[in-house]
Amino acid sequence: MPLIPRLTSLWRNLFHKDRVEQEFTEEIQAYLEMLTETKIRQGLTPQEALRRSLVELGGVEQVKERVREIRMGQFIETTWQDVRCGVRALVKSPVFTAVTVLSLALGIGANTAIFSIVNALLLRPLPYPDAARIVDVWHTPPQQSFPGLDRFSVSPANYLDWKAQSNSFEQMAVYQDTGLSLTTSGDPLSLTGAVVSSDFFSVLRVNAISGRTFSAEAERPGHDQVVVIGHGLWQRAFGANPNIIGQTLTLNSRNFTVVGVMPSGFQFPLEAELWVPLAWDDKERQTRSIHDYWVVARLKQNVSPQQAQAEMSTISSRLEQQFPEQNKGWGALVIPLHEDLVGDVRPALLVLFCAVIFVLLIACANVANLMLSRGFNRQKEIALRTALGATRVRLVRQLLTESVLLAVAGGLLGLLLAGWGSKMLVQLSSGSLPNAGDIGVDTLALGFTLVVSFAAGMVVGIVPALQFTRANIGETLKQGSSRTGSSPIKQRTRKALVISEVALSLILLIGAGLMIRSFWKLQNVNPGFDTGNALTMSIVLTPIRYSEPHQRLAFVERAIEQIRSVPGVISVGTTTKIPLAGGGSTQPFTIEGRPAAAVAEQPMAQTRYISPDYYRAIGIPLRQGRFFSDQDRDNSVPVVIISEAMARRFWPGENPIGRRLTPSFHLEQGAREIVGVVGDVKTSGLDADASAMMYLPYKQAPLPFMSFVVRTASNPETLIQPVSKAIYSIDKEQALTDVGTLEQVLARSMSGRRFNMTLLITFAGVALVLAAVGVYGVMNYTVMMRRRELGIRLALGAQKMDVLRLVLGQGLTLTLIGVGAGLLSAYAVTRLMASLLYGVTATDYLTFVSVSVVLIAVGLLASYLPARRATKVDPMIALRTE
Amino acid sequence: MAGKQIDLLQGTLHLLVLKALAPGPLHGLGVSHRIAQITKGTFKVKPGSLFPALHRMEEAGWLQPSWGESENNRRAKYYRLTAAGRRQLEAETEDWQRISMAITGALKAT
Repeated sequence: MPLIPRLTSLWRNLFHKDRVEQEFTEEIQAYLEMLTETKIRQGLTPQEALRRSLVELGGVEQVKERVREIRMGQFIETTWQDVRCGVRALVKSPVFTAVTVLSLALGIGANTAIFSIVNALLLRPLPYPDAARIVDVWHTPPQQSFPGLDRFSVSPANYLDWKAQSNSFEQMAVYQDTGLSLTTSGDPLSLTGAVVSSDFFSVLRVNAISGRTFSAEAERPGHDQVVVIGHGLWQRAFGANPNIIGQTLTLNSRNFTVVGVMPSGFQFPLEAELWVPLAWDDKERQTRSIHDYWVVARLKQNVSPQQAQAEMSTISSRLEQQFPEQNKGWGALVIPLHEDLVGDVRPALLVLFCAVIFVLLIACANVANLMLSRGFNRQKEIALRTALGATRVRLVRQLLTESVLLAVAGGLLGLLLAGWGSKMLVQLSSGSLPNAGDIGVDTLALGFTLVVSFAAGMVVGIVPALQFTRANIGETLKQGSSRTGSSPIKQRTRKALVISEVALSLILLIGAGLMIRSFWKLQNVNPGFDTGNALTMSIVLTPIRYSEPHQRLAFVERAIEQIRSVPGVISVGTTTKIPLAGGGSTQPFTIEGRPAAAVAEQPMAQTRYISPDYYRAIGIPLRQGRFFSDQDRDNSVPVVIISEAMARRFWPGENPIGRRLTPSFHLEQGAREIVGVVGDVKTSGLDADASAMMYLPYKQAPLPFMSFVVRTASNPETLIQPVSKAIYSIDKEQALTDVGTLEQVLARSMSGRRFNMTLLITFAGVALVLAAVGVYGVMNYTVMMRRRELGIRLALGAQKMDVLRLVLGQGLTLTLIGVGAGLLSAYAVTRLMASLLYGVTATDYLTFVSVSVVLIAVGLLASYLPARRATKVDPMIALRTE
Repeated sequence: MAGKQIDLLQGTLHLLVLKALAPGPLHGLGVSHRIAQITKGTFKVKPGSLFPALHRMEEAGWLQPSWGESENNRRAKYYRLTAAGRRQLEAETEDWQRISMAITGALKAT
């Protein structure tokens, strides 16, 4: 029976019901018409002929229904038969079943887990109505001042001009994240909130589930003491109190009236739980050179982001001409919100997704190989059934049912693995994935698993199934049990499968190797400060009690004093931003004695405001000059300390000590004298170059926000409690945030890399094991098949070494071909991951060579076991058993 | 039409359809006519049982359908025996002969 028409019929019955139905209608119609014609020819009138024919037909619909039942019934019945048969066959060989189900479960589970991340982050739209139309609008900074930065926050005046002059947007809103401390009966609660303009919520099109959001009124200073709270906070801190609307909260020592509660899941910006109105006064509205705000907007219907970008570019260049002093070189960037949120993680996720697909392919190749070996034992069964009249389709279908059963069992187990795995992944990612809370196995991931399982079942089943059923019945039956060797075709298939396994795992191993090398290089990068035994915590002093500089100074001085008196504390310092924690402020400056430039073209430096002991506490070395002392106060000479990178960049080959510069935020204090040069620190990441830094003594510019650095004699974690208590003893309403050790800050800065590396290593490890099993399986099988031949060789005087060499040689050939193919493909593929690497090129030859060596060694080891067995063949037994 | 018409058993209908198609492809009405012809009018297969039988046998792989032109230029679905169908015909013929011999014998016994 020809195979193709049968398969097509099966396909049609399942997936083209309409066509089958229509063809049947046509068939019946033709029957009816022909019957009528026959009757007319017999002498009946046309009407009478038609009437009798219809009677004879006995109801078209009933006939159709019976045929339908038969078509589907037949299919279901056969499938059910095959399933029972398959289950019986699989239960009879439990080891085979366990091994295949487990390999497939690993492969499918890994795929589902990664897919659930890809789905949550890349595929699923953001949870806002018509989210595709929401865009972020950024400044693009002048490249000479901010090399490599493509997104920069926006100044109030520029935002107001954008909003007034643009036509592409339905709405445009501005916001800024902020730390808020909520006064409670116990320790103050430190919360992440956002200050937002009144149309913020309508840009996102999300409304309060209870109460309301902000009216335009709230943007006016004096009317802004209202707050909208998040669902999670409402439940956590207020016991989901339905009467919360209208109550008063004390935030940063100011009273706010609750006007609304947002729906659960609403978190924008990330992790925000409270929203308060943004109320700029007239001075702020005219600020053009302080970039401190973020802009989000909703595109008008039928306006593309590109069109909006074009309009914004025009507006920006107009503003550049209008305000060259502040705006020269500042452009605008319109980027879809989703893209903006996940753009950074996309390359890594795609690499990981490719990696798991490779793992699954390797697992499939392995299982196909196992089925090939197993099928050999079943060849007689198959031949017998063919002789008894089973068609090839019937047999192929049965074998496929078996492999799909295996794969579905693997898929179910894989689903369990994935459910557990995706939770592990979220933990492992430790904050390096945005929206990590949404990750989980949902219906789409479930469907994905199902499809992958079926596909895997088909893929692993089709090759063996076609091979066995091709066998010539007579040949197999005649051969009986005398196995002199298996057909060359089958062997070729098996070898091809193993070679591809080796090649795929080599690519994965090289990928993992490159990640490891990058990570090592990165870990050996000196951050510029001492991360061991140090604690850090941050605080924002609320304006209501600390509006005056002397109040802030007093707080800091008392806090330092209190912390210093905690036993186990060696030194304490404050800064405005811990290195590697992300963020930090940058400001332009002018150098005395050099030609003045417009503000927009002035050089920039990262700026920190520190206490005299900061360098000692964090471990930044002095290179030249001196540290700050307690004598550097508001009424003494204004001073500044710069980093080596800054010294190199602006005073190459000169001594900067004694030179003077003016930071543009402190014009009123005039030029500052450089009194010291300190070592560089990495501020934004170990993989970034150290930026130019200037440090000002906080006593000459006491800002309301600061981070403490506490150097401790022993394990810093044990001091978290006493140090926090020391600070709360001064003021119970100022909440501490970002409490942790410097080690944790460092680890967090690498968490994304560590996540990618760990996953790639895991996948590559699984791939390596699978490939080793594959090589072992094929070599073992070869030895089994050639036992007789090997026996004869040994009987004729071949040495054990010869046999060993023969088998090992064969295994090595397979591995080498695989490695060769793998190297070529890796060379083409790894450059896709170039953006994930640090300090190594995507074609790093050291990695390529060492990984190949490892894989060849594993291949040899995997063939050594069967080879040894080959040498132990007893010629007499081998010859007799055949 | 001579003699009385007899209802067909399931198995016998298959056998008759296979037999009717043995000489060459036919469409549904053709099969029905051929059966009437070879059984000399004893069996007249109605569409209500003919079509389910044809489709069941098609699913079983005994018949291979194809669309063709009928005598008077109408598109009609033709059925042809497959190799499996031919084997089935042989097997069923053999079975039938055994059964009919056994039953004839049984009826003759006293």
